Amino acid sequence: MKKIAVFYALALGVLTAGAQAQSILIKGGKVHTLADMGTLESADVLVVDGKVEQVAPSLNIPADRVIDAKGKVVTPGVIAPISELGLVEISAASGTNDHAVTGESIGSAFNPVPAYNPKSTLIPFNRAGGVTSAVVFPAISTWDSAAVEAQRVFAGRGFAIKLNGEFDSVEAEDVAQKAYLGEAGAQLAGGSRANAYAKIENALNEAKEYRDNRAAIRLGEWRELNYSLADLEALQPVINGTEPLLITANRASDILAAIELAKTYSVKLVLLGAAEGWMVAEQLAQAQVPVVIDAINNLPISFSSLGARLDNAALLTKAGVKVAISGPDYASTHNVYLSRQSAGNAVAHGLSYEEALKSISTNVADIFSLSGGTLEKGADADIVVWSGDPLEVTSYPEQVLIEGEPQSLVTRSTRLRDRHLKPSKGHEFGYRN
Amino acid sequence: MQLHSRVFGRGIAALLCASLLVSACGEKKAGSEQRSLDFARLDAFPSTYSVAQSRPVLIQDATLLTGTGEQLENTDLLLKGGKIAKIGQDLEAPKDALVVDGKGKWVTPGIIDVHSHLGDYPAPSIESSQDGNEMTSPNTAQVWAEHSVWTQDPQFPLALAGGVTTLQILPGSANLFGGRSVTLKNVPGRSVQDMKFPGAPYGLKMACGENPKRVYGGKGTSPSTRMGNVAGYRNAWIEASNYKKKWEEYVEKGGDEPERDLGLETLAGVLNGDILVHNHCYRGEEMAVMMDVAKEFDFQISTFHHAVEAYKVADLLAENNVCAAMWADWWGFKHEAFDMTEANIAIVDQAKACAMIHSDSGVGVQHLNEEVAKAMTAGQRAGFDIQPKDAVTWMTMNPAKALGIDKQTGSLEMGKMADVVIWSGNPFSVYTHVDQVFIDGELMYDRSDKKRQPRSDFELGILNAEGERL
Repeated sequence: MKKIAVFYALALGVLTAGAQAQSILIKGGKVHTLADMGTLESADVLVVDGKVEQVAPSLNIPADRVIDAKGKVVTPGVIAPISELGLVEISAASGTNDHAVTGESIGSAFNPVPAYNPKSTLIPFNRAGGVTSAVVFPAISTWDSAAVEAQRVFAGRGFAIKLNGEFDSVEAEDVAQKAYLGEAGAQLAGGSRANAYAKIENALNEAKEYRDNRAAIRLGEWRELNYSLADLEALQPVINGTEPLLITANRASDILAAIELAKTYSVKLVLLGAAEGWMVAEQLAQAQVPVVIDAINNLPISFSSLGARLDNAALLTKAGVKVAISGPDYASTHNVYLSRQSAGNAVAHGLSYEEALKSISTNVADIFSLSGGTLEKGADADIVVWSGDPLEVTSYPEQVLIEGEPQSLVTRSTRLRDRHLKPSKGHEFGYRN
Repeated sequence: MQLHSRVFGRGIAALLCASLLVSACGEKKAGSEQRSLDFARLDAFPSTYSVAQSRPVLIQDATLLTGTGEQLENTDLLLKGGKIAKIGQDLEAPKDALVVDGKGKWVTPGIIDVHSHLGDYPAPSIESSQDGNEMTSPNTAQVWAEHSVWTQDPQFPLALAGGVTTLQILPGSANLFGGRSVTLKNVPGRSVQDMKFPGAPYGLKMACGENPKRVYGGKGTSPSTRMGNVAGYRNAWIEASNYKKKWEEYVEKGGDEPERDLGLETLAGVLNGDILVHNHCYRGEEMAVMMDVAKEFDFQISTFHHAVEAYKVADLLAENNVCAAMWADWWGFKHEAFDMTEANIAIVDQAKACAMIHSDSGVGVQHLNEEVAKAMTAGQRAGFDIQPKDAVTWMTMNPAKALGIDKQTGSLEMGKMADVVIWSGNPFSVYTHVDQVFIDGELMYDRSDKKRQPRSDFELGILNAEGERL
């Protein structure tokens, strides 16, 4: 009997969740649409079937569910521009890491999607921090001697996820190819930045050669190429300009080199790092190259980032560069939600408030061609209702919707908190939920 | 904090004997001047820190977070002779005083970071500057962090701009015993002695858990397990107890002076109560074991650092008078950092243990106010009534206790060092700036005056040969 009851309950749950045309009305919050409507001091947001249907000062429309957002702030969900969510559980436990590989010819073919784990503890934790989507990239451990010996300057293909924890939460594949120039590139390419540059050039040249002579190459009626066909295939959307090439570089001169490379090969470039981006902001703006920066890092931690400063985001934005802000370096894996703290600091150092909100949502969606990032008709209903100003560290999400679905904000952190709220002797804690 | 006061009191007394009151102490020990139990060796690399002649400072009509659990509105604060001279309403400005209009501004004690590697892991971070971890043996109690400090690390002035007036520089965590820490005032110094906090006891860095067992286990030597770690501690304490006994016998009975041993000297200094134990330890279970090791050998642990699981044993910490230094939200970089809760600091605090924030980071050290704000918010969300007046102690008073310098700094109380931060608003807002920082009453940082912003030697001529780095 019991088993049957459980079965029916489950079936019913599935049916109600799936079949219902759900509508949600978020009432009376301060709404940052980050779209044409701008910011509305008090407005209602209507969500139907996972999409934003309407935003207006007042909507008297019945809905299946009403969320009172009076005194709260409503924004699009935070989108993390660079993360390893679902690929890394515990950084120092190698068995739980799937973000980096060694020993393959060039790396551009590496597609980490089959390793993606939507049940990772990092996902509910960052979701409870207001992150609704993230771009997940492979990486190369530059401190790993095996990786350095492998001489790969490409990390592989990035994908995008929604943070609902579902098995089908991969939103898009091949959102960008990732490669290394600058100091990291030099380490991977035998010791010089110039060689990292040459390696990328060689790969792009071969990719073109492959594109133009595909049949002959596949039949083996062509000269031997350095790179595998899988690698060269993976670079096709990059040389066609349909998939961005995400290049890491921090030093101003390295950034200029990246711009030059992108120009030569008509590649759609996105820069990652760009600590000294402000020094070449005009050139970045002119070449229409967006940047993903760690806006809170102002340390001259390497000779590549001697010019790191807290107003980098403000200076770049002012020059007309599209800026996305990532979680701080020390927390880019597990705490990607802290991009909002970085954005808050960027505001404290000259970035306009609205641009700061965009830099952790709208701009990320634009750069990687993702849905979400605005609250306007037809947008994915990835929405956060915040207790207050989302860029304040004292505010927090009270409601998180992903594609219109209200999400649980319970995490291991809150479970552990509740279990040990009042620590005491004995073993009873082990029976607490 | 009773036990702490006892231990720290002894540390201070020893220091006073070593520096300020040499003759007086000598007189007391008449007949045995040549034979003392000075394991701490406070006079070996003496502090040459000096308070510059500073004009009085009167901050008017500010909101004060005193670090003693009070928030005072529209209050004046007078700094004089390097000390906090008066707190009250409508205080009169002394002649020549620097008068600061504090309307709308908030004032806190200077921030104290109990866990820093600035100078030992400086920026830029290149191979030749990795001076924080003497990874050559599980027990390197003989090394002193101060001997690695590059005083021109540009991270010091950045931390100052974040309101940090005092930092403990610790050796790294590769070893069971990493060596001695040093407490510094965050002032420009040509030598590390120029920065040394006068009167601060030394610390001993110990490390639990994954680090030592990985570093040495990886080399096929002991320790390779957590039980190996504990055996390593206990063996060392047995040796140190014997060493201490030998010296005590010598002081009492005379005879041949025992041979000095730098490492055992540091451990004996702990057993003597003059050196404070700062123990890198993540897990609740391990903290409990470490407190038992301390009982076995009769010493006191000052503080567990990186104490991600402190909340699980908060009552034990309170019982044993052991502090916990924590992050607001770091987690997951290793297994022992997996059980993180953002309410960690709040739970430890509410269990009446001494809780504090720490950075272990050149970025984090600049934003400790934001880190405290996050931890405070997590505490409120857990249902605790924690306000800014309470949370500020997590970055001022409690780290001062942990370092044994709470008699001198850590709160806005009369007679204490005038280590003071003026904030543009509520320090727990992300938009708030540090406007001014005073150390011993001297204006060391002023956001609106480039001339009162220190630049390390490294900053000069970088990026722009004729200018400054930025």
